[in-house]
Amino acid sequence: MGKKILVVDDDPDVRSFVLTVLEENQYTPLVACDGVEGLEVIQKEMPDLVILDVLMPRGSGIRLYRHLKTDDALKAIPVILFTGIALRSFLKSQKALEEFKGEKVPEPDIYLEKPVEPQELVAAIRKKLD
Amino acid sequence: MSANKILIVDDEPTIVRLLDMSLKSDGYTTCTAASGEEALAVFEKQSPDIVVTDIKMPGMDGLELLKKIKNLDPDKEVIIVTGHGDIDSTITALQYGASDFINKPVRDEALAIALERAESKIRIREQLAAYTHNLEEKVAEATAEIRRRSNFQRLLIHSSHDAIVAFDRDWQIVVYNPEAARMFEKRARVVLNKMTIEDLYPPQLAAHFKKEAKNGTDDREDIPWKEMVLETRDKKQIPVRYATSVLHEKKEFMGIVNFFQDLTEIKRLERELIQSERMAAIGQTISGLAHYVKNILIGLKGGSYVVNVGFQNDNMEKIKTGWQTIQKNIERVANLTQDMLTYSKERSPEVALCSPNEIVSEVKDLVSDFAESNDIEIVTRCEPDLGQMWLDPGTVHRSLLNLVNNAIDACLQEEDPDRRFKVEIRTRKNEHGAAVFEVEDNGCGMDEETKTKLFTPMFSSKGGKGTGLGLLVTKKLVEEHRGTIDIDTRLGYGSVFTVTLPERPETAREQTDK
Repeated sequence: MGKKILVVDDDPDVRSFVLTVLEENQYTPLVACDGVEGLEVIQKEMPDLVILDVLMPRGSGIRLYRHLKTDDALKAIPVILFTGIALRSFLKSQKALEEFKGEKVPEPDIYLEKPVEPQELVAAIRKKLD
Repeated sequence: MSANKILIVDDEPTIVRLLDMSLKSDGYTTCTAASGEEALAVFEKQSPDIVVTDIKMPGMDGLELLKKIKNLDPDKEVIIVTGHGDIDSTITALQYGASDFINKPVRDEALAIALERAESKIRIREQLAAYTHNLEEKVAEATAEIRRRSNFQRLLIHSSHDAIVAFDRDWQIVVYNPEAARMFEKRARVVLNKMTIEDLYPPQLAAHFKKEAKNGTDDREDIPWKEMVLETRDKKQIPVRYATSVLHEKKEFMGIVNFFQDLTEIKRLERELIQSERMAAIGQTISGLAHYVKNILIGLKGGSYVVNVGFQNDNMEKIKTGWQTIQKNIERVANLTQDMLTYSKERSPEVALCSPNEIVSEVKDLVSDFAESNDIEIVTRCEPDLGQMWLDPGTVHRSLLNLVNNAIDACLQEEDPDRRFKVEIRTRKNEHGAAVFEVEDNGCGMDEETKTKLFTPMFSSKGGKGTGLGLLVTKKLVEEHRGTIDIDTRLGYGSVFTVTLPERPETAREQTDK
């Protein structure tokens, strides 16, 4: 089996789409519905890559992203942000959070704005893993 | 006043000398001449006020002298000394303007009386002249002032941006400024003092003002601004605003003044403003919708990809999953369209006898699967003897479904890991017999700002996951049912939405009648 990739998204439609793309490209998909569940799966499975939605109930993508990037055990895991929110708005919220918390986290490796074609998603994954 | 100077004329030197002495002793200044010719020369040089002349003299006689002097200066007084019974000469002298006559021989008293009369005439004339002069000056001054004022007023009326039209008591047009000429498209030349109110105004307006004039009794009665549309000869419509003053003097109708303002430009600006506001609203609506539609598109694209993969791999499971996604998103498009139509169209409730509690069960059935999968409990607490009521079942269903979906979303957004999420739907009848539906959740609740924006078109607190139409449509449906919707919410603790719908049996009957 291929490398383990976790999809964290509250939208079942998005989950099934990404899951299918991953399967079709010989990766091993893992899924989580929200940030809390996402962190549990990451700690248990240590995936090779995380595809993360930003706006989610119960532990938003932003919170999980910041957790991943500040946890020494997890910060090496590459993250693809995959969201309907424009990158500009996301970076703005990050900046506000950094000023508020006084800590800086690196900008996301890859930021994909939905909708994306399957090839785009695969290209982004390959760029991080190969 | 200085004593008058007197010229004494006689061809007899004795008489001249006698008179001269007598007058000088009376305090007069005198000069003398022995003939008419000499008298004229002295007159021109010395300019005496009074001339006393003998009528009969060789050469130029007294009458001739009188005529010449009066010619030179009609204000000079000439006293003629005549012989007895010389009536013809006396009449001629009178015609020439002699002041008085003294008979020869000249007696002092007679002369004194004649002089006094002449002097008093001079005095009066002087006073009159001074007075007249004064009066002329004053009249000139007043005229200038009046002219200045009237010029100012004329200019004021002339240059006014309002059209000003005034009528006298006979309804003749007496004031008509250029703006009025422009508005009514008639030259001042053919209107001023020539036309009456009926010639200029549309019949209704003329009648209206005539009525106003009759009613007035005060000194001036101002009728506040009103709006109307004037139609020009080429059928152009001019929106105008007009004010009226009815003029009275001593309770008598004196005339009427109208001020018209052309509102064409203002109306155009108003229309532009409304248009731009509408465009802004449409812009906001479109961007909100675009976001939502984009999410549907993501679902449809993802779903069809999954179906394709299923076909390629002959994987029935994939086809099913993808197809479900597609169907779900088709449903979202259908709902969106329905919401948009409901929101944009006037609609009256379709009332029928229905059971509110049954509708609650239907709604619960629709959402329970999704709620269960997200660990949200749906509870119903219905008043059992609510029975059948005259309500629009569609309104009840749609409103409840919207509110329950919102309640579930509110639970999904709350991040308290220890909370057991619950949505409760309650029904009851209030004291007026109206149906009351309450949807309560213990989700995230709302802050004041969100609460005030709730019914703003296209406002959504759910990012791209909401259209911003749900509550708006609910509110519209409820209000069309003459019901109310109330919110009680606390950030972090949850919300209660209360919909009260009065029974509308009359609406059902109207519909049956149709």
